[in-house]
Amino acid sequence: MKAIEVKNLSKKYATVPALKDVSFSVDEGELFALLGPNGAGKTTLMRILTTQIDPTSGSAKVFGNDVRSQSGEVRSQVSYVPQEMSVWSDITAYENLLIYAKIYGIPAKKREDAIQSALKTMDLQNVSGRMVNTYSGGMVRKLEIASAIMVEPKIVFLDEPTIGLDPSARKTVWDKLRWLNRNKGTSVFFCTHYMDEADLYANEIGLISKGRLRKIGTAEELKSSVSNETITIEATGLDSGIVRGISGLPHITGARVTGKTLRIMAINSDEAINPVMNLLISTGVKVKSVSSSKPSMDDVFLKYTRGKGKEQETAIADIKRARDRIRKA
Amino acid sequence: MFDVKGSMRVITAMIELEVRRVMHDRTELYFRAVQPLLWLIVFGYIMGSLRAIPTGGIPYTDFILPGVIIQSATSVAIFFGLVIIWERESGVLKKLVAAPCPRFAIVVGRAMAAGVRALFQVLIILPIAVLLGVHVILNPLYLLAALAVVFISAGGFAGMSIWIASILKSRERFVGIGQVIIFPLFFASNALYPIATMPAILQWFSAINPMTYMVSATRALMITGDLSTIWIDMIAILAFDVFIFWLAARDFRQVIN
Repeated sequence: MKAIEVKNLSKKYATVPALKDVSFSVDEGELFALLGPNGAGKTTLMRILTTQIDPTSGSAKVFGNDVRSQSGEVRSQVSYVPQEMSVWSDITAYENLLIYAKIYGIPAKKREDAIQSALKTMDLQNVSGRMVNTYSGGMVRKLEIASAIMVEPKIVFLDEPTIGLDPSARKTVWDKLRWLNRNKGTSVFFCTHYMDEADLYANEIGLISKGRLRKIGTAEELKSSVSNETITIEATGLDSGIVRGISGLPHITGARVTGKTLRIMAINSDEAINPVMNLLISTGVKVKSVSSSKPSMDDVFLKYTRGKGKEQETAIADIKRARDRIRKA
Repeated sequence: MFDVKGSMRVITAMIELEVRRVMHDRTELYFRAVQPLLWLIVFGYIMGSLRAIPTGGIPYTDFILPGVIIQSATSVAIFFGLVIIWERESGVLKKLVAAPCPRFAIVVGRAMAAGVRALFQVLIILPIAVLLGVHVILNPLYLLAALAVVFISAGGFAGMSIWIASILKSRERFVGIGQVIIFPLFFASNALYPIATMPAILQWFSAINPMTYMVSATRALMITGDLSTIWIDMIAILAFDVFIFWLAARDFRQVIN
């Protein structure tokens, strides 16, 4: 079963296109990241998948249910954590979960267990009686995730789940989401513009910019699609014969000498390094230093999302939102 | 097709949310009680002593209490759209719209939540009015019915407020609108003077003014005890509520876009 299946999806706001012909699918049980600059269409895509807005054309299915014709079925299987604060700040955390439990129709007998279990999962049991307006930004996020998982959804959608959080709160949020994904089998779909988070936590990453899905794959696949890895060796006694020899080795795509520096392009530097060193030693080259570099998520991001969409326009709103969150912390 | 059970579930949850909010912070209720009490004590006392308005033999403060209560309840309600705008700017509405509950129920639930807030308001004003010597009919059935009228009246105005919020979408534009709606309706109703004393054009307007029927029903149940025309009032109030809820639910999608 596919958790998400999107075909030729497009969305226009009035005449402004937000999504252009997006097609992809996500397997059940995945932790999927939608990575892209601000204004790329991430939130629009997520809001279509959670039945909040209708697409202009194309189709989207969540666990086999169409977001337009079977929106009721979709809503009963998904949870959504918006980027902005989605709990009421003038009641306690426990009351928030109680009200959401009633809205979602968790039967009275199971309600208390569901609430307590969600609080326990998110480590909020001891502070559940406190008013939410006394919570830090990280605690609010945890409460929002608690309210999302309390209804035991098949998939959780999170829009920029860690925006405005400090590094330790970010890590806690991710530990909890990974735990859910591994232990409860809950599929997780999140939007982010933090490359490191997509890189670290997602099984699969979709890169989106200017409303188009540019590339999809695991972090490794994306990185190796960008460029080769580079091995740089500082040594004395290098000559063109050695360069020819190295070029013929497996995993190597090219080599070049400039002065005392040998630069080798490799598909996989870990596999390539041993034969290279053997060859250098056997020809009597004196190696001073060896370093290798792999393409980073930054390289991937820049390559596929160059000309970064509407970044300037959305930057202010984004900063304001992040600051609001911090002020509450 | 229409999910009655699910809708009731959402509406009662929204009402419970509002009760819990009020319980946590009651200061707003106390401050909002000041204005209606001024109407009653200052305006009511002075106008009453002039004996200029034909009230059909009842003291003037008794005559205006229902109007003051309805004005206060609908004022609470008409600003409820501000809550919706806050919830729109935060993520609450987005989360609700993605939840398995009918959108109609979200609108009616939020509107009725305002009705609850208005009831709390009345529960502060009413005992003070009785202490001031207003002759309220203290029959519990009549009182409960009067509170029910206040509840659905405020609910209707909150529905109007939500509808306006879906169109305006910003709090700055919203604040002015509230007073512009309530006070003309208040003055063009039977709240402060009998309709017969008004110029013809205002009489005509008061007949289509929902506040007239709200005041009339509340006055029948609280002060005069004359229930002969209350069925007309109830039909008018319910028709107003249904129409407004339909309108608000229809345009509610715009709030989140």
